[in-house]
Amino acid sequence: MQLRRQPLSAPRPGDTRPAAQRLAVPLLLLLALQGAAASGGPEDSGWLQDAEPSSRLLSQAARAALHFFNFRAASPSALQVLANVLDGRSWVNQKKEYKFDLVFTTEFYSAEEGEKRLGKCSAQVFFRNEKPRPAVNVTCTQLVKKERRQEEDYQLYKLMKQLKSPLNAVSIPDSHGYIAPSLRPIWDLAFLGSSYVMWQKSTPFLHYYMSQISSVKQWKTNDDAIDFDYTVLLHEFSTQEIIPCRIHLVWYPSKPLKVKYHCQERQTPEEASGTEEGSAVALTELSNF
Amino acid sequence: MSLPQTPYKYSLTQPLYDWHPWNMKWILFFGALIGSGICDRETFSGHQVFRINIRNEDEISKLNRLVNSDNLKLDLWKSPSTLGHPADVLVPSFSLQEVKSFLEDHGLEYSVAIEDLQIHKEMDSIVKSYPHLFSTGKGRQRPAIWLNAGIHAREWISSATAIWTARKIACDYGRDLVITSILEKMDIFLLPVANPDGYVYTHTHNRLWRKTRSVNPRSTCIGADPNRNWDSHFGGVGTSNDPCSDTYHGLHAHSEVEVKSVADFITNHGDFKCLIDLHSYSQLVMYPYGYTTSRVPDADELDMVARNASKAMASLSGTQYQVGSVGSTVYTASGNTIDWAYDNGIKYAFSFELRDTGFYAFALPADQIIPTAQETWLGLKTIMEHVRNNI
Repeated sequence: MQLRRQPLSAPRPGDTRPAAQRLAVPLLLLLALQGAAASGGPEDSGWLQDAEPSSRLLSQAARAALHFFNFRAASPSALQVLANVLDGRSWVNQKKEYKFDLVFTTEFYSAEEGEKRLGKCSAQVFFRNEKPRPAVNVTCTQLVKKERRQEEDYQLYKLMKQLKSPLNAVSIPDSHGYIAPSLRPIWDLAFLGSSYVMWQKSTPFLHYYMSQISSVKQWKTNDDAIDFDYTVLLHEFSTQEIIPCRIHLVWYPSKPLKVKYHCQERQTPEEASGTEEGSAVALTELSNF
Repeated sequence: MSLPQTPYKYSLTQPLYDWHPWNMKWILFFGALIGSGICDRETFSGHQVFRINIRNEDEISKLNRLVNSDNLKLDLWKSPSTLGHPADVLVPSFSLQEVKSFLEDHGLEYSVAIEDLQIHKEMDSIVKSYPHLFSTGKGRQRPAIWLNAGIHAREWISSATAIWTARKIACDYGRDLVITSILEKMDIFLLPVANPDGYVYTHTHNRLWRKTRSVNPRSTCIGADPNRNWDSHFGGVGTSNDPCSDTYHGLHAHSEVEVKSVADFITNHGDFKCLIDLHSYSQLVMYPYGYTTSRVPDADELDMVARNASKAMASLSGTQYQVGSVGSTVYTASGNTIDWAYDNGIKYAFSFELRDTGFYAFALPADQIIPTAQETWLGLKTIMEHVRNNI
């Protein structure tokens, strides 16, 4: 294993500039800094590059990056999921923090049968110990032109406005995997909100999928924005736990997503080895304007 | 928990529950079609059973109007005898769109409830249809294959695939060269619901339940993870000793009767060559070990077989299944089924994670059951054929 010392290039947490607007400079910066002499200062955490990065770890980092991307794009018509990791490098430091440099392909979350367009992203993901959420810097190729994406978001928005309150639809999908076509926009919007939560909760050893919307507390469309208060069941790897999360989001097309959440963590301490427990209950308010 | 005392080929478990009577019609209907020589059930794809909530008299008359329309060819299975009880209607695939539009236009609440997981009755039906393929297990013992499904309660597609596979094997014997030659040399034991109590629970209480339903002595939490309960690095990495955890390994190895029954049977039989454990989701074909990322001695061969299986599965609909050892592909998981199998002389031990990759996750839509079963079948055949050629 080679010892590489380089200044931390990941963005600081709390930086609210949308990542999508930053160009992929750090990638070039990273390459330029390889082999640079050690600074030896107190901030230097001594990154050790993994000679054989585990594809599992790389995939997990890529997923975390995509959750962040989806949240920032705030576009329920253009949600992306991981297709394949093309290239990846990982580093770990003495504090057992992880850093990743990735190139991966994506596909549309809502891809129709046979529609197989792949997007491509490059990302740096930094899992630090202090903050629960990974710091992400991600750039993706534009699969859909911005104008078209905004138009499709607006179409979805119009569908949502027409929807009567789906409070009696208890489980989406139902036990048999059925999502009524009229409820599909709700599913996509719920996934957008869940992306924020899944980004926040991801660690090198814990990643998530949205299993089911278990209840809808509120679906308000009379104001301009869609006000959506719901509970989602997240499936957590590798613990296999089902984590209920209450999410409240406000969405308007082409505006950043406003979201807060509260997940029900299990009370008893986790004793499985090899998993890093994320921080406990968090009520996070995010205001983007 | 009851399992048959004498082993049967197509080891049939007796679940502790009874299915709703309205399912009977579905199976009899289906059984008749099979009798006419169709092994692949193509004619049934797309048919759905709608469960319609009836809230008042007005909705009853609307429902009757719908059911009585000639061209839709609907079949009312369960009429709403009292308000508040839903009606079940079998809708053929060509009428789906019209029925849905009607229901939505008239504000009728409905859900799609496809219950072709009528496992117990289906097993009986298969045995009745192909009596020459089943025996009580007496007589000369032959090298054997164990197909395990539904060990995790919420992974419904695993059991659905298994029961489809059971009929496929029975039907294709004498028709398909590969399966016929396999059965000429070996026995296949198929367990469609390895965790019956958990499976019931996902129907009655919690769709996302995973474990068994055993009582834990000093906890209010129920159940252990049967895929961490096997006697192979029991209690190691990737398990929890907290009874409330979804990866709780149980009080001791084989503490869960679901696991002990199978382990004892396989051990007493003594001549199993292959074990395949079906799970969902993630689309993976994996081999041991789970307790470590280190390679097993037979890794090269197992990897090659797994890759061939994955290729075969992709050949049908393009579905991609990735390949690797459990530990290096998903996560470390000690005490799992295939680790135990491998450590007990069953070299060809594989674990499948079926569809999908996380969109529907455990709640895979019913219209994906048959496509999943069909592609999985190609993977199973690939493996079983290799086993037959190498024992």
